[in-house]
Amino acid sequence: MIPRPDADSEDRVIFLRDAKFTYESGVEALKGVTLVIDKGEYLAVVGGNGSGKTTLAKHLNGLLRPTGGQVLVMGVQASTRTVAELARVVGYAFQNPDHQLFCRTVHDEVSFGPANIGLDGPEVKRRTDRAIAIMSLSDIRDRPPLSLTLGLRRRVSIASVIAMEPQVLVLDEPTTGLDAREADELMSIIRMLNDEGTTIVLITHEMKLVAEHANRVVVMMDGKVVLDSDTRGAFSDLGLLRRSKLLPPPVTQLAHRLSQIGVSKDILTPQELVFELTRGDDQ
Amino acid sequence: MQALTLKDVRFRYPGMSEWALDIPSLEIRQGEFVTVLGPNGAGKTTLSLLANGLVPKSIKGEFEGSVEVFEHPVPKYTVSQLSTLVGMVFQEPESQLFCMSAEEEVAFGPENLAVPRDEISRRVEWALDLVGLKGLNDRSPFTLSGGQKQRLAIAAALSMKPSMLVLDEPAYALDPMGRIELYSILSDLKAKHGMTVIVMERDAEDLVEYSDRFVLMANGRVTASGPPREMLMDPGALRTAGVSPPQMAEVASLINLRRKAPPLRFLTVDEAFAEITINTHHHSKGESH
Amino acid sequence: MTGFLDLYSEKDTFLHRLDPRVKLLAVALISVLAFILAELLYLVVLLCFILLLLVLARSSYGKAFFALKFVIRFMILITLLWPLFDRSGTPILFSIGPLDITEPAVWRGATSAVRVGCFATVWYILMFTTSQRDLVRALVKLGLRFDYGLALAISFRFIPTFGLTIESIKDAQRARALELDRGSILRRSRNYVSILVPTIVYALRTADTLALTLQSRAYGAFSNRTYLREIRMRASDYVALTVVVLILLLPAMAKYICGVRI
Repeated sequence: MIPRPDADSEDRVIFLRDAKFTYESGVEALKGVTLVIDKGEYLAVVGGNGSGKTTLAKHLNGLLRPTGGQVLVMGVQASTRTVAELARVVGYAFQNPDHQLFCRTVHDEVSFGPANIGLDGPEVKRRTDRAIAIMSLSDIRDRPPLSLTLGLRRRVSIASVIAMEPQVLVLDEPTTGLDAREADELMSIIRMLNDEGTTIVLITHEMKLVAEHANRVVVMMDGKVVLDSDTRGAFSDLGLLRRSKLLPPPVTQLAHRLSQIGVSKDILTPQELVFELTRGDDQ
Repeated sequence: MQALTLKDVRFRYPGMSEWALDIPSLEIRQGEFVTVLGPNGAGKTTLSLLANGLVPKSIKGEFEGSVEVFEHPVPKYTVSQLSTLVGMVFQEPESQLFCMSAEEEVAFGPENLAVPRDEISRRVEWALDLVGLKGLNDRSPFTLSGGQKQRLAIAAALSMKPSMLVLDEPAYALDPMGRIELYSILSDLKAKHGMTVIVMERDAEDLVEYSDRFVLMANGRVTASGPPREMLMDPGALRTAGVSPPQMAEVASLINLRRKAPPLRFLTVDEAFAEITINTHHHSKGESH
Repeated sequence: MTGFLDLYSEKDTFLHRLDPRVKLLAVALISVLAFILAELLYLVVLLCFILLLLVLARSSYGKAFFALKFVIRFMILITLLWPLFDRSGTPILFSIGPLDITEPAVWRGATSAVRVGCFATVWYILMFTTSQRDLVRALVKLGLRFDYGLALAISFRFIPTFGLTIESIKDAQRARALELDRGSILRRSRNYVSILVPTIVYALRTADTLALTLQSRAYGAFSNRTYLREIRMRASDYVALTVVVLILLLPAMAKYICGVRI
């Protein structure tokens, strides 16, 4: 793992120190994870099924508590805070929006979280309106969430989390089931949230998504962090990705094979690859 | 023979003003591997359910036109009768497996069809083997991975010996490795057993190599249809249709924009590697002269 | 968590191999016997016999402990509470305020407790040694309509799935700062609505797909459906059946024909 010199900085929002977690069944899902997440990062936690990435994510807002080691959120021991308290700082949007939605209108759904954390009426309203505006749901704020398309249901469920105005937003496979347009719309909103300072933790196995959005990649395998690097670095080790049951995007695979004619291995997008390939032609 | 023929088909869900499907003509040949590509809401699921009559028999609505599978008019048969012609696999892995062991799941169809016991037993072994689940007869479907669940659902359809499989976004909830395994099994079924395969998908990437033909859908209509190289080489058009283009097609089109030479037309990493290295080879030769 | 919902563990013992129909019958007969026997001594003998079966079933300690903990608590509760409600007979052992605790009532309490212990343990042994699917097969073989058998099997199959889904729904709502057990009664009931609605929606969606799947797999195509696995009685099953019937018949005859007090 890369040692991080800024591990003590005040920008640190999440700090896992040798966190371990064993399920009641005896399955060791985390075998000592040390991870520092700074304010404003766009981090992807990737890994195959059973790698421990979801278990790790559930430690960030206290849904799971480490059976060994520590989790610090904003410098405070997470173990001293309830999930409801942590929810103000770390928002967690689940993969399946239908596990959340239950209200009569989008507006009610989005205000559920802010009301739960005990804010007063005007503040609940302000935050609800803001979250609805950010997720572009103003036109459908009075519609029943369950009648919406999956793309919109996912946006409502994320709105209901960002309405608590967390500093960290954990997104578990946010593009599952979305078509290209819905996914693009959602991911550009997430990009904007990140630009405005929200720390994003993307839990996924879609490497195309990671290449396009994340600034840093943590690869998990068998309950351990096997790689923690900037996004380019992560895509230059195809062997490691494959061992971690991850599928590098076609453009990365091509770049690696073309490295014999001098193409660099850390290509992330078709545009970058073509730029490298055609550089000579322009001269 | 045609595996599936649609003529002047229209279907409208109760209380809706728009047609969910409006397809003047669609034909799929026996032994063809067809990917139906379209964004959410394009009508892919409704189309898939037409193939064994679930639409309009179970899912009611206003229906007109004719649907035939292997020259059998679908409305004349029950869904059960058509199960020996058309195997169906749905999106959600968990909710289409309802037995307490993999074996029972695969045996369920032939048992209903009153197939003799020895024959069921042979079919169970055959189908589990085809989908790579050999030896997992007694495992509870609940304990299988998402990819294994979908493959079990395929085996459960195969044991009724259909000539065509229709799969509605079978890779919906799967991880990348699960998707690749699933699609390569479907490809084998086509290649080795002459199975007709129709897959509904949102994303062309995983199916580029396997599909004989892509059918593009939008708003309940078929907007285009043709072999991969005709359908996928224009990333802009695909995006407009609400579908993400394969990355290699994007690479090819970006290169083509910058060169005057004959356009590159690759869709897979292997093809791209071959074409690009040949081209750079010529290129460097040209420079040395 | 879901492990305890399915009490069955795969082992190779005589009890596991026994035809599930014989086991069902045995459990029913032993339950009847537990109600026929009136004397504490004989009930204790029966309980010892049942506990021997439990040992022979080689159930995992975790599951056996889980089950017995429940049974023993129930037995203690009955023993303690019975004399409080049944105050007939003499002599009076002692009095708590207006309550007279009589000796026959204490005996009757203990007898009932052992009876319930026999009854519960024997059903647990059935669940320990018989997989849910064999149970359903046996019921269908004994005459339960196939549709009902299938419905029962489907419910067994989906118990763990629903368990996981409800856990996930709870987590998703807790991530929105839901605290299930805080606030007024009104607030709490609203809190549970946030779990209930997504659960019902999930159940309905699952049922929809399930209905389409069943039809696509030719459900109900022929009335003379075949079965891949048939359960067949072997010699050892007939022996067990005879033993079980005798275990019931002998005491019953002794009691009702010969008039022996047991």
